[in-house]
Order: sequence, then structure tokens, then C-alpha cells
Amino acid sequence: MIGKRVAYYPGCSLEGASRAYDVSTRIVVKELGLELDYLEDYNCCGAMETKNVSFMGTLLLNARNMSLARQQGHKAIVAPCNGCSFSLQRAEYFLETQDGLLDKVNELLKEGGVEPLDEIPQTYHLLEWLYTEAGPEKVKERTKRPLKGLKVANYYGCLYTRPHFYSRTYSHKGGEDERARPRRRITADDDEHPFYMNALLEAAGAQSVDFEPMHTQCCGGPHSLSDEEVSERFVKMILQTAKKNGAHIIATECPLCHASLEMYRYRLILKGEKDVDVPAAYFTQLLGIAFGYSASDVKLQDNLSDPLPVLRSLGLA
Amino acid sequence: MAIHERSLVEEDRILRKEKLVVDGIDVSGDWNLIILPRVIEDYDTSFLDEVLKEPEGKTILQCYQCSYCTASCPVHNYWDERYNPRHFIHLARLGLLDELQKRADVMWRCVSCHKCTHRCPKGVLVEEVLKAILRVMARRGLIEEYPSKKFDKFFLDTVVEYGRIEDGELLFGWLEKQGYKIVKDPILRKPIPFLGGTPKWLKDMVKKPIKSMNISFLMLNAKHMLFHPRTKNWNRFRQVLRKVIKEEAK
Repeated sequence: MIGKRVAYYPGCSLEGASRAYDVSTRIVVKELGLELDYLEDYNCCGAMETKNVSFMGTLLLNARNMSLARQQGHKAIVAPCNGCSFSLQRAEYFLETQDGLLDKVNELLKEGGVEPLDEIPQTYHLLEWLYTEAGPEKVKERTKRPLKGLKVANYYGCLYTRPHFYSRTYSHKGGEDERARPRRRITADDDEHPFYMNALLEAAGAQSVDFEPMHTQCCGGPHSLSDEEVSERFVKMILQTAKKNGAHIIATECPLCHASLEMYRYRLILKGEKDVDVPAAYFTQLLGIAFGYSASDVKLQDNLSDPLPVLRSLGLA
Repeated sequence: MAIHERSLVEEDRILRKEKLVVDGIDVSGDWNLIILPRVIEDYDTSFLDEVLKEPEGKTILQCYQCSYCTASCPVHNYWDERYNPRHFIHLARLGLLDELQKRADVMWRCVSCHKCTHRCPKGVLVEEVLKAILRVMARRGLIEEYPSKKFDKFFLDTVVEYGRIEDGELLFGWLEKQGYKIVKDPILRKPIPFLGGTPKWLKDMVKKPIKSMNISFLMLNAKHMLFHPRTKNWNRFRQVLRKVIKEEAK
């Protein structure tokens, strides 16, 4: 439905501090028989920050990336980061719904030496793509070392499913009503109760713990550096709920959420808070281990919260 | 008696009487609490007009004040009751600028989780509308420079300059702006994470890859700190970006 071969927009984080996510994503994608076409010379999507300063500027940043994808012949872009997929989908929304905006953006793109957009490509989160194009059956088939005994808290973060205007998520309960979700997409995850990560990791043998409603609670996101008090409280709630519900590890699908959880985990431990020592790992890292790769293949040593001891104690690394 | 949305009423407008007799009838007990009425004589709609001119502010008129946004908001629920998106929209529409100003200390705390926008039954882009309100307030000088705005600008500047961001630069650059003493190497003027006045948690964090001898990870991050990642075909595009951003700031 989306396509086995798509444009890959990794985003800045994945080429720096979160390279573990990039490396493990490529491993998982290869194992599942899919293909990523790296978007050459992309630029930052602007995350959730630039949009507060400049509407058109942020739109242009994303339009340039869309144009690159079109140049490489793609109609679908896959982004592994919540922030990146949000930004691209947001641009998609405004370009599609506001009259005359596309022409204006195209003119500015031309002025900046970028090919104008002939068509607006759709952006999918990596998780949505993996679930739709490979799915749990394929994951099960590929699993060589089931994640037996591993209790995972699946943390989706905010922008993977929200808001439905951009992410095109639909509620499986009331999903038939076109008026309620005018832009809903059939491949999208459930909006309030996302389950794609649960399904993929369960297919790999892991056990998901009950994590609602913290599975989509904000980690502080764009304010994780600028508003430390609020972010610290949010992360504390997330970590303590995971611990209370018996999770060994928190599975993440966004480099920003991941960094925020790890950073505040160090702070909370320093402050002497209890039950905050649950480590975090990208869901692709866990899938990579299930597919028989070693811990260093999926760069588990890069995770600052150190999930290695937990995995070793279960005989998984 | 409990007051509905207590956080919206100032302390000095609430009258509490131990004993209250009205027209010879003793109404002490439940009926001893009075909220003083407030008289507003004229509404200034110029603020609303300005919000409507913002590209993301247009949906503000669709709001019918159901408060689903506020009920969903994590900042309202877990941080401060005074952060109330429904109320901010209400105040902006009426143009009660002094009331908005009273809440300036919490108004910037939105974490952009988009629960409000997602759940709104009327299709208001609540998060975007609130940011538009904040922007108009800042333009009119109703709100002081707040931390997240400083960070947003810092972020945008990096993106416009290089086309990409770098985690280390953002983190240390921001800490330096916050007044932490960051030690830099004398030649390239790049921060040295484990020296100087960097916070303890950050030193702990940096120690982890050093202790575990994760050389390739350290090398990669050092490389990025020394040579900022860039987008190659950026010069012409940067000029257009600068022009657009400058036009919008007017």
C-alpha cells in the first residue's frame, strides 16, 4: 500500500547521537525485505521549534525535503523520528488545504534553486511503514532469538499519532465516520491506543506491559531543554509507571523522546528519586536482537541508559 | 461550595462569610460564598484580528468552549491548573489583554504534545492557535522574552545557517546561554563536556561512553562538534529562507 521501496529521511539526530537508531533501522529493514532510499543532501525539518518563529520558513524547509524525494522518484517518505514525520506531515496538511499556498511555496523553491513540487509526497512514520509492509507475521518468521521473558513498555510519544489532521490516524472504534477524521489513512495506527509497536515486539517474542495512558504522554519534547521543571515531572511519571508495571525496558520510536528519557533518567537518579532506573532502547534495536544480531551490531552500547545488563540477565545479549 | 474552574478566579474576587443572612433568611453553610461580578464595558477585537491574520490562527473562531483541550492538556493536569487553553482562546477572542497578561508566566509552557488539537471536536488547531496568540502577544509587548522562545530562535538560527542541527551544539550552546560556565578548548573554541561548570548529570552522561570505551560513538560526536554537519546545496536556499523569515517578523 505504501511501497516496499521508499525515500528515507533519517533526520539530523540519527546521523549523530542517535546513530544506533539509524543502524538498527537499516538492519531491520533489510531483514524484512524492504528497501530505504537515502534522501541525498536533506536539511533539518525544523522540528517543533522553528514553526513557532516562522510559518513560511518552516514550510519551505519541509518543501525542500519533499522536492528532493520527488527528484529521487518517490511518492512516499519514511521518517523514523516523531518530530520529522510530524513536520513533513504538517507541511503536507497546509499545502493541501490552503489555497494558493503550494504555488507560493513553489515560487520560493525555484528562487532558492530547488525543483518545484509537481506532487506532494506523503510521509509515514517508520513504525507505520514496517507494520503495513512487513507486519507481525514477517517479524515472527524472521525471529531467530525470541525476546523471551523481556517485559517491554512501549512508549509512542506524542506526535506519532497526534494530531489526526497531520498524522491521519483514525480511531478503530469510530473510524467509519468521514467527517470526524476527514484525512484519515487506512494504514495509520489507532489514535488513542496505538498498538503497532506492541504487535511487532510481541511477534518477536517480547511481552508488553500495560502502559496506558503513559504510552502517549509527552516527555517534554521541544521543551526538554528550555523548560526543565515540566519535562522532569513528565519523564518521572513515565519512568515510574513503567517500573511499577514491571517493565524491564522502555521501547522507543523517536530519537527525541529517547534522548529526553535518558537525559532526565540521569537527573532523577542524581536527585535520589525512586523507581526511575528503567533503561530505554529503540524498538528496532530490540527487533535486531530478535533477528539474531549481536548487541554491538545494533549499537546497544550507544544507549546512555545502558540496557545491556537487563538483556544479559535474560540471556539476550 | 466548590468553584468550577477555581484557577480562573482571583483570590480577591472571592468573598467568604462565616455567617450570612439575606433578607432575614440565614443562608450560612453552602450559600456563604460569593464571587464578585466583573463589568467589562467594551471589547477590543483588534487582538483577535491580528491572531486571525496569522496563518495558523484562522481556526480560533470555530471554538465553542467545550474545554476538551483543557481536560486533555498534560500541562494543565500535571503542572499548573492556571494553564488553560480553552480560557486563553476565550480571552483572546474577547480581547481581555490584561487577563492574558496575568497568565503570561504559564502561557509559554505548552509542550506541543497536540492532545488538544487531536481531540478538539470542532477542528480548532488549538496548539497552533495558542502559539499564534503568544506570537501576537510578544509583538505587542504583552509578554516578556520566555525561555522556549529563546530556544526556538536559537534552533532556527542554527538551521538557517547550516541546514542541519547538531545535538552537542544545541545542548552546550543552550547551557551556555543559561549561564553555565562551559570550558572550551583554546584553538577551536569548542566545548569540553566533562570540564568546568557543566551540570553533574551531564558529566555523568558523558562518562558512560568513555567508561565503556565506545570509541566510535565518541569519535562521531567529536567530529560533529568540530565540523558542524551541513547541507551542501544550501547557500541560495539560505538567502530565500532569510528573506522569508525577515518578512514574517515585520
